[in-house]
Amino acid sequence: MQPVITLNDILVTQGDNFKLSVERLALQPRRIYALTGPNGAGKSTLLRVMALLTAPQTGSIEFAGDEPHELARQRQKVTLVEQSPYLFKGSVEDNLSYGLRLRGIDNRERSMRIGATLAIVGLQGFEQRQAKQLSGGESQRVALARALVLKPELLLLDEPTANIDSNSLEGYETLLKGLPEFGVTVVFSTHDPSQSRRLGEEVLRLENGHLINGIHRDSKDSVSNKWSDLYGAEL
Amino acid sequence: MGYLGDSLLTAFELILGLDREVRIAVWTSLYTSSCAIVIAALFGVPAGLWLGLKRFHGRQLLVALLNTMMALPTVVVGLVLFGLFSRQGPLGPLGLLFTPLAMIAGQTVLAAPIVANLVLAAVTGADSRIINTALTLGASRLQAAIKLLSEVRFGVMAAVIADFGRVIAEVGVAMMLGGNIRNSTRTMTTAIALETSKGEFAFGLALGIILLSVALVVNLFLNVLQQR
Repeated sequence: MQPVITLNDILVTQGDNFKLSVERLALQPRRIYALTGPNGAGKSTLLRVMALLTAPQTGSIEFAGDEPHELARQRQKVTLVEQSPYLFKGSVEDNLSYGLRLRGIDNRERSMRIGATLAIVGLQGFEQRQAKQLSGGESQRVALARALVLKPELLLLDEPTANIDSNSLEGYETLLKGLPEFGVTVVFSTHDPSQSRRLGEEVLRLENGHLINGIHRDSKDSVSNKWSDLYGAEL
Repeated sequence: MGYLGDSLLTAFELILGLDREVRIAVWTSLYTSSCAIVIAALFGVPAGLWLGLKRFHGRQLLVALLNTMMALPTVVVGLVLFGLFSRQGPLGPLGLLFTPLAMIAGQTVLAAPIVANLVLAAVTGADSRIINTALTLGASRLQAAIKLLSEVRFGVMAAVIADFGRVIAEVGVAMMLGGNIRNSTRTMTTAIALETSKGEFAFGLALGIILLSVALVVNLFLNVLQQR
């Protein structure tokens, strides 16, 4: 199967400081990858490289089906949700609409997708709520919804459950587990070994900016059928 | 009532009676300052945004230059543009000197660096995650910059309004480039200077009250924006 994204000979430095080196990394479609490693190992840097936000000094990043250097096109395939996501001013709907508008999605489909995605993340009826007035957990879920509504091929999550309380954790993890069946490849960084075991079909470990070979697991749980509202019969 | 009291009374009579010369001076001030501020915003906003987002050699020098231009004395701007617009100057054949257009040009030169600088401050003070968030949702660099501008729009609007307050109250450019011609280029500030020197204190007072009222409205509007 053709990898969703392939990184070759990536080197990232900041001034004289070495940040990250990845000889080769190919992520297979429809899988969940847990990215682990101690603080400062380069997890966020690797996510930002894959999100095309940090340009490596050397190496190449290839997306399936795209010519290299088609940056604008590639950016529409991958979405990163940061640990402390920024929500734009305005309503929740304004936030979810932003990426859809950029893709030229019409009003009707936008509204349908937004409603379905908010239901998936447990924020049904939140469309008109002001984004800046939401709690930390709600903001996190809106940021996830804002990424999911775009149906990305590659979803990158930087410590997605760091700000989520233990009551919401299980629901959030179930949500993530359901994504690969709808064509989404997920990479999430975590400090929690048990979470990487629970969710990660493959574990990517970074140490001192170097990628240690992935560990393969084979476990898939059942998927919430709410996903079909968003993804329909496309997949 | 005494000199001040009588003058104040006459001033209010002039305002409430919608005195023609008062009306024309107010209109000229509002018209030239509004045109100048719109043109200044058209140049200043993109310039401030660009300077706030780009990192390049010489950027600090450009920022320092912009800061210097913020402190430009209005008479110096008037003097330089007078040289350009005067009959012997390079733009002399256009016949702009002592017209509202020359005043607008001068006020634009005064206002644009201030708008650019205040927008630069709004952009550099904005949340550093805005651009990356927009990029990761599929925006191009330009679209992400526009999104950033939209996120700091109240700061930008406040910058433009504050600048309008400065431009409408300036006297050097209006006097040197407009020439203070009755019913044509006479603004509130130049009229206050002239009429008071002629002994028409009440007339100057009437315009002063209107100018203060404009400043008050501008500041109230600014406060509302800054609270958002």
